[in-house]
Amino acid sequence: MKQHLGRQSGVQNVEVSLNDGKVEVTPKEDGQIDPAQLLKATYDSGVTAAEMEMTARGKIVKDSSGGLALQVEPNQSFAFAPNELSKGLEALAGTQTMVTVRGQLYKKQAGKKKPDTSAPLKLLILEVQKKE
Amino acid sequence: MNSRIALLLLLGCTLAPVSQAQIKHIEMRVEGMT
Repeated sequence: MKQHLGRQSGVQNVEVSLNDGKVEVTPKEDGQIDPAQLLKATYDSGVTAAEMEMTARGKIVKDSSGGLALQVEPNQSFAFAPNELSKGLEALAGTQTMVTVRGQLYKKQAGKKKPDTSAPLKLLILEVQKKE
Repeated sequence: MNSRIALLLLLGCTLAPVSQAQIKHIEMRVEGMT
């Protein structure tokens, strides 16, 4: 699995902990990494992803449906799953303020092994680490 | 000349925040790993 994930675009390093089933992926500094592709690659390597968390820095924007999203690249953004923390970021939408957040992108649904990668991943903010 | 420098500075300020944006870390918990 480590090799399989390491071959994905934008991945610099993969650390696997067999004891607690934790996989840490470090993106390349200038690379664009696709979390949905990582989920698929994980499944393709024969293991099931139970959950995925991401720490990212970007701008708060409003997407086409009017919902809030974190823009991490000009062509890559993650819509927020609404919660209290995402509501607190609403005032920053459209501003140049950079926000660093940690959030959950995926959680396995009971009874399902294969992640549904057809729908875009939503970011459930767990922690707002920095606003600058 | 000065206006060119000013334009470059303005462009830099506009583009810099997006270029500094990025995914910093991804962590997964997996099942079925042997």
